[in-house]
Amino acid sequence: MAPAIAFLCAFTFVPFARAIYLSFFAVNRNTFHAARLVGLEYYRRVLDLASSPFGDTYLRSLLTSLEFALMVVPATIAAAVGLALLAREKLPKIGAFRTIFTSTIAISIASAGVIWSIIFSPSVRIFRGLIELLRLGAPSLLTDSRTALPAVALTTIWTGLGFNFIIALAGLEAIPRDLYESAAIDGATGWRAFWRVTWPMLGPTLLFLLVMTTISSFEAFTQFKVLVDSPGPNLSTNVFVYSIFTAFWMENNYGLASAMSVVLFLALLGLIALQFRLDRAVHYQ
Amino acid sequence: MRAGCLARAARYALLTLASLVVLFPLLFCLSVSLQGDTVAPRLVPELGKLDWRAFVEVFRKEHNMLRWILNSFVVAAAVTLGQVAVSALAAYPLAMLRFPGKTFFFFFFVGSLMIPWESTIIPNYLTIASLHWKDSYQGLILPFLASGFGIFLLRQSFMTLPKELYEAAVIEGCGRARYLASVLLPLSRPALATLAVYAFLTTWNQYYWPLLVIDDPAWRTAQVGITAFRSSEIASFNLQMAANLVVMAPTIVLLVVGQKQLVSGLTAGALKG
Repeated sequence: MAPAIAFLCAFTFVPFARAIYLSFFAVNRNTFHAARLVGLEYYRRVLDLASSPFGDTYLRSLLTSLEFALMVVPATIAAAVGLALLAREKLPKIGAFRTIFTSTIAISIASAGVIWSIIFSPSVRIFRGLIELLRLGAPSLLTDSRTALPAVALTTIWTGLGFNFIIALAGLEAIPRDLYESAAIDGATGWRAFWRVTWPMLGPTLLFLLVMTTISSFEAFTQFKVLVDSPGPNLSTNVFVYSIFTAFWMENNYGLASAMSVVLFLALLGLIALQFRLDRAVHYQ
Repeated sequence: MRAGCLARAARYALLTLASLVVLFPLLFCLSVSLQGDTVAPRLVPELGKLDWRAFVEVFRKEHNMLRWILNSFVVAAAVTLGQVAVSALAAYPLAMLRFPGKTFFFFFFVGSLMIPWESTIIPNYLTIASLHWKDSYQGLILPFLASGFGIFLLRQSFMTLPKELYEAAVIEGCGRARYLASVLLPLSRPALATLAVYAFLTTWNQYYWPLLVIDDPAWRTAQVGITAFRSSEIASFNLQMAANLVVMAPTIVLLVVGQKQLVSGLTAGALKG
């Protein structure tokens, strides 16, 4: 047990405690030492309590993360469950289809970002029709403030499909066959069997996917760095982790960035607690 | 009979359509890489004029390409082995032995799961930088050797084995270390495989951390490398896509070869974990 304790202390608990400590100080950017106590000043700035000259940048970026999660999470899970239902029956050659649906698990977010940056490139005409339909002033979905976040979300949904598909398929295969047989005797087939048997039996799998996808979309950074590499048009893709990166890496404001890290921890904790409570309300009413 | 036939054909049609949608970005990537140096690539290349030179050109332009893939492999393999070993050593006493403070340690390990890596990244960076571990394997590997997820997963798996087995082994004179090595680990192969696959993929996928702790181009991992290559060849779509395919090839091959193990491994973990 000793190695696990040592490594977790060294790279998880102590750094987390240090992040909390640093969040109350202005930090010297050369020595990395806490230089001057500022108290709750950074938290006030992040949560916009003092209406600082920074405007509502940080609070808005937290909301952008939430918006991004709302675009990504339901769509990814719905698409993955849909594919799993489609590939569920053991037809000849179904293995090949299952491999294809799993394939994005082998593609890193960075590689996916590089591919999609070409797909979204103005000289590739794939989205030309959509751009004209929406009358965007911008040449690419990524450069208009209305479509940039959904475009990054689309990339993220595609990347997450493989993992979510595998888990959803496993959840479906774990449902005992005889449940469907007794449902059929009661006259429930097709859609009714789906709502009466599949949906409730899939509950734990869906909760697992919900929590995992929420965490990963809230912590998303790579796709924003590769596809946009800035806070985006009109700050529309400035998700919270990206604005932490800006405060930390670009502005070397270690104290402020630490305060934001603590806020990120609390926000995720709150979201996950909410999901478990919702799950309990749905399943034990 | 006829209706069944029709339904089956419809299902295959749907499966094929869904496959094309899922595969579209990959197929497009391959298509662009074969179209020569153009900034206005077509959806499908002209089959008579396929241009494979991009795949040679990539290695001529970027001498570090194979080194990047090697770096990623070394880091991902070391983290995988480390996580499996460290997690097994921690999960064993939690699942099998009685000792004071056991509940405390259990919550200590599970509690680490609640802290997002992004919340600890700043102090971790400051530590690695002041140790002068930037541009090194230890800087890329050491922070990830222990994982609360791995410990929890293996503990759950060890607990499914009957206590009587342990007692019988002890009566037969089997020591604790030997019980772990010759009984527990072989019997927990699915959970170990799950953890190994999961650890390998997440480490291979890493981008944020390597981006911070690497300055020297030779030390880049495949992920940081491919994005840097893209920035330096921003106008050559075919080179970007060819390089991307080269970097993706190892994990795609692994997926096709190990699809069965991956699926059974991941699913065993998700359902029992």
